[in-house]
Amino acid sequence: MLRASRRTGLVFFPAFDWAISPTHPEREERLLYTQDQVLEEGLLDVDGIIEYRVRPAAFEDIQRVHFCVPDEESVATESHLIAAGGCLVAADAVLRGEVKSAFALVRPPGHHAMRVVHGNRGFCNINNEAIMIEYIREQYGIRRVAIVDTDCHHGDGSQDIYWHDPDTLFISIHQDGRTLYPGSGFPREFGGPNAQGMTVNIPLPPQTGEEGFLYVLEELIMPLLEKFEPEIVINSAGQDNHFNDPITNMNFSARGYAALNARLKPDIAVLEGGYALENALPYVNVGIIMAMAGLDTSFVKEPNYERDYRPQRDDITQYIKDLVVRLRDMFLEGHLEKAACKEGLVIERSRDIYYDTDHIHERQHEKIRCCNTCSGALSIASTSNRGQHILAVLIPLGACKECRKTGLAWFEKAIRGAYTHVYLLDRVRGVYERT
Amino acid sequence: MILGLDVGGTQTDAVLIDAGRIAAAAKIPTSRDLLATLRTALEAVLSDVAPGGLERMAFSTTMTINAIVEDRLDPTGMIVSSGPGMDPAWFSVGPSYHVVEGCLDHQGFEAKPLDRTGVQNAASRIIKEGIRILGVVSKFSVRNPLLELQAAKWAGDAFSHVAMGHRVSGTLNFPRRIATTYLNAALYRIHKNFSDALVQILKEKGLNGPRYLLKPDGGTMDLDKSIQWPARTAQSGPAASVMGALALDGCKGETLVLDVGGTTTDMAVVMDGTPLLKPLGIRLGPYRTLIRSLLTHSMGIGGDSEVRMDPKGNLRIGPIRKGKPVALGGPAPTPTDAMIALDLLTVGHRNAAAAAMERLGAPAGWDAATTAERTLHTMAEAIAASAKAFIYNINSRPVYTIHEVLADRRIKPGSVLIIGGPAPQIAGYIEKALGLPSRFPRHYGVANAVGAAVARVTSEITLQADTQRGSVVIPEADVEQAIDQDFDMEQAIALGRTALCRQAAEIGAHENGLEICITEKQMFAMIRGYARTGRNIRLRMGIMPGLIPGWEIGG
Ligand SMILES: [Zn+2]
Ligand SMILES: [Zn+2]
Repeated sequence: MLRASRRTGLVFFPAFDWAISPTHPEREERLLYTQDQVLEEGLLDVDGIIEYRVRPAAFEDIQRVHFCVPDEESVATESHLIAAGGCLVAADAVLRGEVKSAFALVRPPGHHAMRVVHGNRGFCNINNEAIMIEYIREQYGIRRVAIVDTDCHHGDGSQDIYWHDPDTLFISIHQDGRTLYPGSGFPREFGGPNAQGMTVNIPLPPQTGEEGFLYVLEELIMPLLEKFEPEIVINSAGQDNHFNDPITNMNFSARGYAALNARLKPDIAVLEGGYALENALPYVNVGIIMAMAGLDTSFVKEPNYERDYRPQRDDITQYIKDLVVRLRDMFLEGHLEKAACKEGLVIERSRDIYYDTDHIHERQHEKIRCCNTCSGALSIASTSNRGQHILAVLIPLGACKECRKTGLAWFEKAIRGAYTHVYLLDRVRGVYERT
Repeated sequence: MILGLDVGGTQTDAVLIDAGRIAAAAKIPTSRDLLATLRTALEAVLSDVAPGGLERMAFSTTMTINAIVEDRLDPTGMIVSSGPGMDPAWFSVGPSYHVVEGCLDHQGFEAKPLDRTGVQNAASRIIKEGIRILGVVSKFSVRNPLLELQAAKWAGDAFSHVAMGHRVSGTLNFPRRIATTYLNAALYRIHKNFSDALVQILKEKGLNGPRYLLKPDGGTMDLDKSIQWPARTAQSGPAASVMGALALDGCKGETLVLDVGGTTTDMAVVMDGTPLLKPLGIRLGPYRTLIRSLLTHSMGIGGDSEVRMDPKGNLRIGPIRKGKPVALGGPAPTPTDAMIALDLLTVGHRNAAAAAMERLGAPAGWDAATTAERTLHTMAEAIAASAKAFIYNINSRPVYTIHEVLADRRIKPGSVLIIGGPAPQIAGYIEKALGLPSRFPRHYGVANAVGAAVARVTSEITLQADTQRGSVVIPEADVEQAIDQDFDMEQAIALGRTALCRQAAEIGAHENGLEICITEKQMFAMIRGYARTGRNIRLRMGIMPGLIPGWEIGG
């Protein structure tokens, strides 16, 4: 009897009855062939691979993370709730010790969803990983979390949610934003004033092969994790770096994904993008599940691998080597050009956010209280071209007295202001309010 | 008249049914010689029957399962082609297992042609080893049988029997397809010999009516046609019990069926007359297969299980059976002794049973009646705990659509039906332990033989149509044909229905108007680069386990 050397949980939710639109990459068919391949391989018969049934997440789970405008019903459909709930099921399986690690093979994805949600960005409405992480913190008292986002697109939603959080190390490795949506994710984006160096962006040039990814993993990501010492490691496991992917330009293979997973050994992996639904996803997912279970993946190979896979070009190898030297210097040697962060100082920034799927333009104005003991009180004023003008205040988990006081004062003041809605998320008291 | 015969591990039951009533029943011990057992049971129940009067005979036997468990399978060569995924060497079965190059993708496209020389070399090595039985399997052969057909052809005609993977089931699962194909090949000769011998016995007795074998899915198939599918005759005992429960009671609503035997208790769930099926297939000895099976669970507690007291003063029952109950001269106390001591059952030496109970309870200072009472209570509690876990597991099965998640359909039995020897004695205790109304039918002791007697023929097909590839495949029924861009669900259902009816008729379903059930129906638009390029239709339909026409519940 075939046995997994590491007990692995699998939460599979292909949402066979949900699509953004009939011909959209996020459609019913997306995980059909993955399911075919997983079933044909007989992976669920392997002793130690355990499949779990999904459950929908509750609005309460979303409210630990997002300010939904105008409310949760309007931005999260049943499918989003179930995908997020699938991640909670995976988290429970791991944290209760039933399995060593788990893979939430769910759709729709979530890593482009930011703190404030007006609609769908980059196929995402709510951030599955963040909802799972805040659930884990609440239920299991875990603090230090690392996210390694290996989707081909910059995980700008997760970056936004954890921008100010010194307890979350967010690492995103992706195709260079100058060549791909969403156009962000450069090394200079390294975290807010209270969490400088906790966001690490690794933009790789188009045509980077698995050599390049594995090199970055070994030389940069693994040392960063060693230094941070997270209690739990989450992998945002997008599969659009694949050489067969139709909407990106990278050069990764199923074997590469398996090798990455075997080295990173995430506690929980969550599917993100990946749209080569016939000639990449089936093999990549089989590779990931097998790698998580500790099975030998040397037979996992795309049928067109020999014909279509090209080894990484030398100039790309050199570019990545140079990039890693620079990033090691910034993040491991500590040569970051940090902004001044004097206790009590309130730092403000403004930015425009575009929702590509729903064509929403959002303008944000953000205030954060600099703090040496907590993540700092956060206030976001957000205006959309759909007539919404909201203000949201976050009092983070473990907030100090001063930050809590500041946050409450901002909220009190906002209630009297001219906003369509005012939100307060007080993680200290576990309160979510919306006017 | 109808004859039903169920060979169990320790006992063989036979019933004769005349005009819907049980006219005769017999219970004999199962001996090592299966054919002798069958002969004795037949004679016991048929003594006053004119041979011509039998319109139907059905048997549930242990020939193939015993061969599997005792490792008496025929040497069988396997030629397997795989492609990307798990290492095919992990699924090696039999003495001569060969992996050759060649692969299909999940759509059934030939990604790499089958290595003809590789197949020929493998075949000649198998032949050199003196093996004349062959199984051929390829990954995704249920999407396109091409590679298996080629392998069978290229292996040459030196083989006396060749089993092919796509014919055993349309379900996706390559390792199970290998195991199931192997078993069908390796059991072929053993089962054929058994079937020939049984036919001979029936001939001697002048019994010429249609004859069937029971399958683990609670359905039957024609004995003569079973030769091609020997593995489908293994482990049909639990199915016989469930079908018996259905025949004697009807099992309306959601019913938990418990078959309390000598050493085990088997459980199943029947939903409004239809028993639940396993998602993939039955496990036979060490082999996980694609053979359709009722969803049953067996636990090691029965009327003859050993009862002992642990150091903490708690009673423990099973899973060991030391022998007969003390009242019948056995070595250790059993729940049956408890029933005898409490005067719930009149058999054997009551005093011996009471004394055994007294000895068992002595360390705790209980008298015989208290010990007996607690024994039955403990037994019922253990069965109830196991039943609850069984139902919990059914309800934890994954679902893949929003619709199913939101519908959140969960099984919650409203009553319990108990069959097997101790049914009347244990029913009250189980009712209390599970908090559900419990009942037992008349003829509870031979329900299994009744089940075999009146189970109808079942069959299943799996259809996949892919208009992009331009083909529709029904592997079990050997259907593969070209289709055009317009092939739709309606046509798929019509084609499936025809194939299913033909297949069912081939294995002995002679009635008109077969009750066909569509168990899976999916259609996906296939989009390539934002344009609709095809349609992917998946259908699974079958004749579900049920009773022969004309049978009236009750017996
Ligand atoms: Zn992506
Ligand atoms: Zn603070």
